Amino acid sequence: MTTSNLAHTNRRSVLKSGVAAVGGLLTASTVLGRPYLARAQAAKPSQLTMLYATVEADSDAVKTLLPQFKSLHGIDIAMDTMPYNALQQKVFAELASKSAYYDIVIVDAPWMSAVIDNIHPITDMILDSNLTDAAEFDLTDFIPKVFYDTAVFKPSASTVHWSQSGDVDAKAIKQGGFEIYGLPIQANALTMSYRKDLFEDADNKSAFQAKYGKPLAVPETWDDFVQVASFFTRPRKRLWGTTLMAGAGDWATDDFKTMLASFGGDGYMINDKFEPVFAGPEGVAALTFYVDLINKYKVTPPGTTSASWDTAATEFETGLVAMSMNYHTETLNASVHGTMDYAMVPKKVQYGPHFGAMMLSVNAFSKNKEWAYRTIQFLTGKASQAAMLPLQLHPTRRSAYEVAAKDPSYAQKFGNFYPVLGKSLENGVGRPRLKNYSDVDRSIWVAVNDAARRATTPEAALAKAAAQVKTQLAQAGYTPG
Amino acid sequence: MAIPGAATAGGAITGPPPPRYWVRHRVALTGWGLLAPALIVLLIMSVVPTIYLVMFAFQHVDLLGPGTKFVGIQNFERVLGDPEMWSDAGATALYVALAVSIQLVFGMALALMLNRKMRETNLLTALFILPLGVAPVVSALIFRELLNPVYGWVDFYLQSWGLMGDPVDWLANPLTAWISIITLDVWQWTPFVALILLAGLQGVPQEPREAAVVDGAGPLSLFWHVTLPLMRPFIAIALVLRAIEAFKTFAGVYVLTGGGPGTSTTLLTLDMYRIALQDFDVGAASALGICFLFALSFVMSRLLAVLAKSTDILED
Repeated sequence: MTTSNLAHTNRRSVLKSGVAAVGGLLTASTVLGRPYLARAQAAKPSQLTMLYATVEADSDAVKTLLPQFKSLHGIDIAMDTMPYNALQQKVFAELASKSAYYDIVIVDAPWMSAVIDNIHPITDMILDSNLTDAAEFDLTDFIPKVFYDTAVFKPSASTVHWSQSGDVDAKAIKQGGFEIYGLPIQANALTMSYRKDLFEDADNKSAFQAKYGKPLAVPETWDDFVQVASFFTRPRKRLWGTTLMAGAGDWATDDFKTMLASFGGDGYMINDKFEPVFAGPEGVAALTFYVDLINKYKVTPPGTTSASWDTAATEFETGLVAMSMNYHTETLNASVHGTMDYAMVPKKVQYGPHFGAMMLSVNAFSKNKEWAYRTIQFLTGKASQAAMLPLQLHPTRRSAYEVAAKDPSYAQKFGNFYPVLGKSLENGVGRPRLKNYSDVDRSIWVAVNDAARRATTPEAALAKAAAQVKTQLAQAGYTPG
Repeated sequence: MAIPGAATAGGAITGPPPPRYWVRHRVALTGWGLLAPALIVLLIMSVVPTIYLVMFAFQHVDLLGPGTKFVGIQNFERVLGDPEMWSDAGATALYVALAVSIQLVFGMALALMLNRKMRETNLLTALFILPLGVAPVVSALIFRELLNPVYGWVDFYLQSWGLMGDPVDWLANPLTAWISIITLDVWQWTPFVALILLAGLQGVPQEPREAAVVDGAGPLSLFWHVTLPLMRPFIAIALVLRAIEAFKTFAGVYVLTGGGPGTSTTLLTLDMYRIALQDFDVGAASALGICFLFALSFVMSRLLAVLAKSTDILED
């Protein structure tokens, strides 16, 4: 169906269902502010199906909105959730089999290069005033970096990044030959959590002042970080300075690319010309520092060279470390009797925390594309994002962070979490856009792991990884230049 | 209507007997009819996927786009030309050899112990087979926690008993990571081997043993010269079944080490998973699968041939 036909059908169907829509809206909850008006009713289904992540994209928060969507539109959203480790296979299998079962699928940014032909572009729907109330939906409210990195792709060259950084403008995206492939719903960035009680402890403050001649403060640079982490490292008291995630897995790459960006390197690791750019002087300096934290300064708990993000989360929540860097929503066990807060991951010359957002997209094979779009518009809308704050959704809209900043209850409940996450996202660096990213990722995390456990030097590890990545890119058909 | 050649109630033949070819056809048809369900299942579950596997191995398969095309032996060149793949094949062979050997030794010891007619035997047997009921993923997760150097039980008790100074990061060193994955497999599968060997022990005839005892054989000599030779068929069965399963090990190693540290515990099954289900390069994964299948078939056929020389049951 063409866009004009769609619009024609929509206008006609609006008249037919006007009474029902008004009746429904009168009884609908207005908890979310102005409800989305169902001005177009294209073959309204009784149910839509959605494939979503579990805790990685805060499924509990999303679930709270589904009854409100039903009361507004009379449509049930059947939401299936999968843990992240199994989600990619599920999404790929659904799309590869051209299944229409799921109308809406959650897509992580690194997968897009591979699945782009199976996701329905929604730029035209966003620009269609019958489907989108531009003022209400307010595309410019999305954090530009998150939106461009996650949802904007060139259909003919899925590896190319949208180069502009201003407010999101669907028309400009379309005119530039790009398309919008979904709406970001959850943005994860590497943030630093720390034991507030330890930093505020009078004995610690005086001891730190005596040792380093300056007040104890949450570190903002890596140089300060080494001092603070060393200060808190007291193995006999089962306390260490920080966690790192140097084990064999994607987490080690994410740690490294954060360091790389903060040391002035290109945190994407592969540039748009398909050249590995992680093994230069900045990369070597970043990995050397990372390795030193584990082996020279010894500020990490034993087991760091086999640690994952789950290990890091457990170590923080059980009070084994003073600081931790993770994407998880961090908590402290009650038995620790401590308090916690958040800060930006430190920098060397600039901030560059790794971030990766997940978006809700319309399955290209769905029979209910228009309603699928309405659903994701609803779930990523201003009111919805604000409504999910109490369950600590990681929002993708600036307005949600403003709501969190104005309401003291969020600061009381989550401390600095929202201000820190918002700032981290604005400074964050995403992943390269490659069909074979998992191959590239593996070569890099093997290098990080090898260097971290001193099986080889940082220089040699990165040089080997760069050579492997060049071969992998060539095998995938990516020609340098 | 009376069937020609069929006997009546009185025993008389109503007509001429059916032609021999008809009887043969009927027998053959009955046979095929009985075989059909199994053949259909086999065709759907094994033959068709194998045909697809072979087809994919010679194609660049783009499951998510329009780019599927014939590429000849390019996938095989990629797989066989990757030095890491050979290193991972070596690691897989080593893993199977170590895990299965240890399981056979421990399984035999366990079977001998359980074969003694004691009141506790039934209880002990039930306890020893418990690991078989635990899913490999769950076992690996439990092992991962047990081996954590900060809060795991293994380091805690080894330190408490004075057997270890500093905590050991078991999964960060290639040697200790190998010990960990082998231990996991041995813990999980030794009871299976023990059960097969226990069945064998209970079937060993008593006469040769009694004769040997009369001739003055000690317990060790009795085991080595009498029991073990009689147990060979059962050892062969356990060996083959376990080796096939060990070659296919995935979940335990994937969860426990993820193939690390570095790539030191990466088995071929982990490579296949990565290529097929993370990169979705189905062509290369199919090529690797075919190479793996041939290698496994060759190893198993050689193993069976060697064992058959000294094992009646396999010859039969």
